[in-house]
Amino acid sequence: MRALAIARASTRRIIRDRTSLFFLLVLPIIVIIIVGATVRGFSTFRVGVESSNSGPAGQQIVSALDHARGIDVITYTNKKSLTTALARGEISAGVLLPLNLGTSESSSRPITVTIYAEQVNSTQQAAATAVTSVILRQGALVQSANFAAAHSSSPYAQTLAKATSLQHSVPQVGLKTVRADSSASTLPQGYSYIAPTELVLFVFLSALAGGATIIETRRLGMYERMLAGPVHARTIIAGEALTYFLLALVQSVLIVTVGSVVFAVSWGNPLAAALLVITWALVGAGAGLLSGTFFRTPEQASAIGPTAGIALAMLGGCMWPLSIVSATMREIGHITPQAWAVDAWTSLLSRHGSLVTILPQLGVLAAFAAVLLSVSSLRLYRRLS
Amino acid sequence: MVDRPLLRCENLRRSFGDRPAVEGISFSIEPGEIYGLLGPNGAGKTTTIKMVCGLLEPDAGEVTIEGRHVNTDLSVKSLLGYVPQDIALYPDLTASENLRFIARLYKLPSDVVRQRVAEVLELCELSDRANDRVDSFSGGMKRRLNIGAGLLHHPRLLVLDEPTVGVDPQSRHSILERVQEFGRSGMAVLYTTHYMEEAEHICSRVGIIDHGRLIAEGTRRELVEQLGERDRIEMSATGDLEAFAAACRSISGVDSVATTSDAVQVVAREGRRMLPLLLEASEQIDVTVNAIDVTEPDLEAVFLHLTGTALRD
Amino acid sequence: MPAALLIAGKDLRQRLRDRSAIVLGLIAPLLIAALMSFAFKGTETFHYSLGVVNDDHGVVATQLVKSLDSKASRTVLTLVPLSSESVARTSVHDGHVAAALVIPVGFSASLSAVHPESLAIVTSVNHQIEGNVTRSIVGSFTAQINADRLSVETALASGVPLSSLNALTAKAATLRIPLQSVERPIGADQLSAISYYSPAMAIFFLLFTISFASRSFFVDRAEGMIERMRAAPLRPAEILVGKALSVFVYGTLSLATVGVITSVAFGANWGSPLSACLLGLALVISVVCLTALVIGVARTQRQAEGLASLLVFGLALLGGNFIMISSSPPLMRTLALFTPNGEAMRGFTDLATIGGGLAAVVRPIEAILLISVVTGGAAIALARRAVT
Repeated sequence: MRALAIARASTRRIIRDRTSLFFLLVLPIIVIIIVGATVRGFSTFRVGVESSNSGPAGQQIVSALDHARGIDVITYTNKKSLTTALARGEISAGVLLPLNLGTSESSSRPITVTIYAEQVNSTQQAAATAVTSVILRQGALVQSANFAAAHSSSPYAQTLAKATSLQHSVPQVGLKTVRADSSASTLPQGYSYIAPTELVLFVFLSALAGGATIIETRRLGMYERMLAGPVHARTIIAGEALTYFLLALVQSVLIVTVGSVVFAVSWGNPLAAALLVITWALVGAGAGLLSGTFFRTPEQASAIGPTAGIALAMLGGCMWPLSIVSATMREIGHITPQAWAVDAWTSLLSRHGSLVTILPQLGVLAAFAAVLLSVSSLRLYRRLS
Repeated sequence: MVDRPLLRCENLRRSFGDRPAVEGISFSIEPGEIYGLLGPNGAGKTTTIKMVCGLLEPDAGEVTIEGRHVNTDLSVKSLLGYVPQDIALYPDLTASENLRFIARLYKLPSDVVRQRVAEVLELCELSDRANDRVDSFSGGMKRRLNIGAGLLHHPRLLVLDEPTVGVDPQSRHSILERVQEFGRSGMAVLYTTHYMEEAEHICSRVGIIDHGRLIAEGTRRELVEQLGERDRIEMSATGDLEAFAAACRSISGVDSVATTSDAVQVVAREGRRMLPLLLEASEQIDVTVNAIDVTEPDLEAVFLHLTGTALRD
Repeated sequence: MPAALLIAGKDLRQRLRDRSAIVLGLIAPLLIAALMSFAFKGTETFHYSLGVVNDDHGVVATQLVKSLDSKASRTVLTLVPLSSESVARTSVHDGHVAAALVIPVGFSASLSAVHPESLAIVTSVNHQIEGNVTRSIVGSFTAQINADRLSVETALASGVPLSSLNALTAKAATLRIPLQSVERPIGADQLSAISYYSPAMAIFFLLFTISFASRSFFVDRAEGMIERMRAAPLRPAEILVGKALSVFVYGTLSLATVGVITSVAFGANWGSPLSACLLGLALVISVVCLTALVIGVARTQRQAEGLASLLVFGLALLGGNFIMISSSPPLMRTLALFTPNGEAMRGFTDLATIGGGLAAVVRPIEAILLISVVTGGAAIALARRAVT
């Protein structure tokens, strides 16, 4: 079929261009690696601690902080680097332990640990609260050891050891956690967050930038050459649409494969995932075709295309989850096809969705694809004839 | 008349890797002279031109314009105007923007630039397209502007590298006329081409170049006189042309034979008397001669005589 | 007019006529910065609704609820009284509150018994931070109670006779945990998303200049214009300087315009103007050197485009133009400092938070200029080859 021949020629030209190949296949993987290593989720506080010269008791506090749920400890060697890190946002709170805690602990003078946090920054406030609670727990040991040493004949070191072991066994006022739900409204953390969102982002972006090829082909006079032969305009359109669809599909398969093999991403229900990938590839094909008919020069396509792609990806929740933005922005975001795709992936990955669950999103995406493909086909048709 | 030539090239040599392109070329051009460098594709014409304009450094030899070396004295470049073979203009700038830019490159004072640009546009018959982008011009218009760009600064020596390749006959005719005018106005012109008719028509002197060497030089008359009474016979034929050429060479009285894609060229004394012998040879090896052309000695014949190959492919 | 200025002027004229250059240099960074600014409005403060179910109404329970409603707590949470645990579960599930505290019946009374009642914290998987914060806040309250209980048990375990239990308990109740914490501010301004992403996006799109400029050099060469310039009475160095100048001017214009607009219209904090300008200029110089490097290394236009893309995206990814580099692992943060844009981002971040004017940007500027010298040096050697 001639449309296939056209698709083959277009695909070959795109594949031969090393720059396109880079954007198509290499860049998405690199981004996944780099950004995935960074997005560690939104549930732990990073706390910096300066505890040099704080003695063995100080180290106990550090260790308690480290073991605490929801706190990641990072050590610093001096106060300046601690406060600088806090200012830069590398940590959410800074803890400065006083010198030689070991020696002064056995007296009952209260010891103050300094927590650096801004009053106006509520994240830092929340982190400070978490730290305080750990410190108080440590302090309870000291209080108990002192108390027992004062009222018995055992020395402090012994009572401290007793208190430490008793803290685990003495019935405390406990805090039990009750889970109200089990289904997340955001994608799971780490690579399982990045891989699906990058898939959505890059397929669309590459398609938009790839519109440059259509423009180039027209400029070279190749469409004229084709139309001078026994080829309908609609065959050309079908061939080009097929090209973009196939490339989007290949790109998707690569990302899915690398994601699951290298980063252990689970893509959810296979049938639903496959249909979602195919539908999104169709949306990409429409976007590519539209880009090829909308821009006038290849440079415009490769410059404005990616910009628009990034903007849409941002609106649609590919770069940060829409659940953290205002309700208005969420609604605006759903003007983009990206938002619907991310919703579908979230359902599959975080809520064990099936084909039935994501049917609404698939429907919307199919509608987007249909609109994009028909509008761009019409434009191309008019240009060719 | 100046006692020393405007342009002097002495023993120019240049290789690319181990491929020699120009091997010891020397010539000179006087003011008002139109000097043609005639040779087939790949003979070394463009390489020579580039050395003259200071774009390539010769491996040996020197180029001087009015006695000053092109490679060491930057201001010498103001004396020459360069018209490259391919159009060298900015497609996204207008005709006048292109010319203004180039004029300023040659350090023309601002008050002169505007006037000069207008003059050149008029010369190129593009005054009404001054503010249109060059990428909207036809091929012929671009060529004219390309040439005009080399004239902005009133060069003493104009160097044109095959300016009529791919140009329609009308434009070619007007380009050739213009070049003659330049010569008449006292400009020295270095003109390279592989079209004999152009060299014959406008050049006061011609240097024949082949395989990087200048194999003959002189006025048309001087060159042709070398041939004496020899005529050039061109036979359009079909069949085994190489065998035919070999057969022709064996005929006594034949000086040189060359083949092109559809013809055999022969230089021989008393061409008309040779005709029956040549036709007999063709019949013997079963080659059909379709047309015969006998011409008085011309530059193409000179070339054939000197090199044993045709000027054209 | 010196030839270098002439060539730079001509390049700029062509660049400004090219619509894609305007889009990438100006519109794109502004658009994206604006998007980010709107998206993140209101997400910078951490505040949530905490449901409270007080089935006990005893002394301690009332104290607990009061402490949650204190002035200090109100900066972080708002209390929402709920009637029962099942109501609390539904509220958390539906998202009306981010978490809930349930104080069971008999809680206050149970504190003097051997096995005290537990408090329950209802959490949602979508609000893990709020759940943890609630645990911490309530935990700070119960810490003293637990400390007193532990003190008594430790004393008993250390040999104090059981008969003294009541006396011990009474004494323990007067204790205060000797390890306390106090909060201090560090006196730095807060880094808002817009103040991070305005420079980040401006710099990212500045990097695109490398693509444009290197491409246009090869286009010029293919069109025979470099040769034409060399046939004119110019030194090759003048051509190079002219091209470098045009990149410099374009880059500076782009960066400056985005900086001014995001500061004025979106409230982005770029720090003290002089320091920001110097940092920006240093960065533009590095972009010029990188462009020269691409031109020197690449042989064809295609190669230049590929190399430039690699460079632009590689630098942007490493340097933290896409993600807040502060949330990256330490290795990534160190790697970022090997890129000129990464250094610049650190400089701008410090200017916006710690302040410090020139002192804050001296180190980044030094690092950027060092990178420029290295790349520029390599480029000069190679670029001469490209022109001659």
